[in-house]
Amino acid sequence: MELFFMSLTTGIMVGGIYALVALGWVLIYKCSGVLNLAMGELTLIGAYVTYSFYEAGVPFILAVILTLLVGIVLGFLTERIFLDKLIGEPILAVIMVTVGLSFFLKGLIGYLWGSDTRVFEPAVFNIKPISLGILRISPVYLWSFILAIVLLIVFMCFFKYTRWGLAMQATADDETAALSLGVSARFVYSAAWAIAFMSAGVGGALLGNINGINISVGYLGLLVLPAVVLGGLNSVPGAIVGGILIGLLQNFSGAYLDQYFPGGVKEIVPFVFMAVFLLFKPYGLWGWERIERV
Amino acid sequence: MSSVWLPCGDYHQNYHEDQGWWQSKFIKGKMILLLLVVFVGIPLLFDEYWMSVATMVGYTAMGALGVQLLIGYAGLLTLGHAAFIAVGAYTSTMLILQFPWPQFMLDSGLAYPVSIVAAGIVAGLWSVLFGLPSVKVKGFYLILTTMAAQFITVDFILTQYVSQIGGRGQAFSLPPGTIKIGPWVIDTELSVYLVMVVLLSLMVIVLANLLRSKPGRAWVAIRDNDIAAEALGINIVWYKLLAFFVAGFMAGVAGAFWVCNTAALSPEHFQWFLSLWLVGVILIGGVGSIQGAIFGSIFMVVVMEVLQMAVIPLADYYPSLLMDFAYVKDMAFGLAICGFLIYEPNGLAYRWWQAKNYFNLWPFSY
Repeated sequence: MELFFMSLTTGIMVGGIYALVALGWVLIYKCSGVLNLAMGELTLIGAYVTYSFYEAGVPFILAVILTLLVGIVLGFLTERIFLDKLIGEPILAVIMVTVGLSFFLKGLIGYLWGSDTRVFEPAVFNIKPISLGILRISPVYLWSFILAIVLLIVFMCFFKYTRWGLAMQATADDETAALSLGVSARFVYSAAWAIAFMSAGVGGALLGNINGINISVGYLGLLVLPAVVLGGLNSVPGAIVGGILIGLLQNFSGAYLDQYFPGGVKEIVPFVFMAVFLLFKPYGLWGWERIERV
Repeated sequence: MSSVWLPCGDYHQNYHEDQGWWQSKFIKGKMILLLLVVFVGIPLLFDEYWMSVATMVGYTAMGALGVQLLIGYAGLLTLGHAAFIAVGAYTSTMLILQFPWPQFMLDSGLAYPVSIVAAGIVAGLWSVLFGLPSVKVKGFYLILTTMAAQFITVDFILTQYVSQIGGRGQAFSLPPGTIKIGPWVIDTELSVYLVMVVLLSLMVIVLANLLRSKPGRAWVAIRDNDIAAEALGINIVWYKLLAFFVAGFMAGVAGAFWVCNTAALSPEHFQWFLSLWLVGVILIGGVGSIQGAIFGSIFMVVVMEVLQMAVIPLADYYPSLLMDFAYVKDMAFGLAICGFLIYEPNGLAYRWWQAKNYFNLWPFSY
């Protein structure tokens, strides 16, 4: 029973981080229709930038805020340089540009930071687990979860109450109507990428605190794909629920299936689940169903 | 086939000629010349190093042809092709190492050729298994299921289970002399190159003929509009799965060929990187043309070799550059894909087509 509750809490907490990254993915898709396969590398960049600031002596919270700023700049640059010219191109072209982008970023990260695993020194969070009744949670997970939830709420408020957030919602809903009302679509696309960089960056920084930073953090970033498919590609609540469900799925399978299928069952289960899920409900839990006509 | 403008005064008089394999004597001569260059010229002119580069080009092209069939002709987006190459490579190796071959087959060198065919069939069926979702989904969702194929096959099944067979740990190695075709042992650069050329030529011939017959027309119809194709009476489930089978078969053969090139095998050779690389190759070469897959392979492999050569002199000043070459390669590949998609979306094959038409009509263009 303890194993069950351990998996439950860890799953929810890691899922919170996935939800944060998935939110960035869904935003890009909603606003500009770009299916982004470079999300793993965006999390990596966030992790390494935070790490670099932290190594330079900046306190962790400040390092995260600086990472957010770097994320805004990088997001705008990426959109202007790579994605801007591809609006309206076939889906394969757009996806492959993000793949090219992911190769470029991965190469750049490898060149700048090398392939050794980096660990936050001194450790940001206390290693000693906190006891809550029968549950014992390591503080890394708890703080990561809290930070992820805070950021999710901040982003939600941004969309609900600010001018830019409303403009982004309008563009996602109906681009032509938004353009006719004076919303700059180019600005919205850039802003979507900036937010994606920001959310992935913080997600990466938090994931990096759990296991150290190396290329495999980028693989964790890829787990947003099962998450967004589960929730529906264009649903923000879907991304959050999907992220948490994937976190749960991963930890439960790690706890209960590992004895039957030794090895990396934890890494594979989200993708197996996604492949089967697509067969039955390709539009996810809350995605829009498209009816195709000739 | 009529996509090439014929020279002035040269025209087809019936459908048969229009669909002909060799449209004119000139084209026939050109193709025979090409085969001569590939089979005789390159082995005579190239040294061992460039021969190995040519072999890499061929291996990439074999993989890229399957991707070209799926993406360029049948419109089924795939990002997991390396999985099927891996299945082929492992099938071939396991057959050679573990299967109790009768002695006469070993003596007459039939084991490896039989394992190539078996590798193709197993990889084809494996590919059909992961192609099943294509019945219901397409586009981005299909990319996700093929990605799942990649991670499930290579990172899980092959790494965790198949690699452990025989207690060798991660990598399989084939003892020298086990790979032989008939009386010839495949161990020199030249023999590997010749195996590659034969297999690649066969693949191109089979694929080109499939594309100008009923399955090919059905695939193109499905690519252009699958709902309209279904309304025209094309069994889209059957043809989509057929496309997956043929592409998987080619990937399996490519994988079996990879075994004779390296004589060692590890899941490291078939990471997700390879799948993305193959899609990048056809994007650079040109989507929807067989030449495109080959041009793209030549371009990517040769550019990477040239890049490596350019880096070596610089390494005296920046020693880190040589150590981190893998990263430079990643960056160059990423930029090449982005650059081609943004500035040259039709790929190299389109430029080739333009040049060919220019000379066909020269000196009097219409």
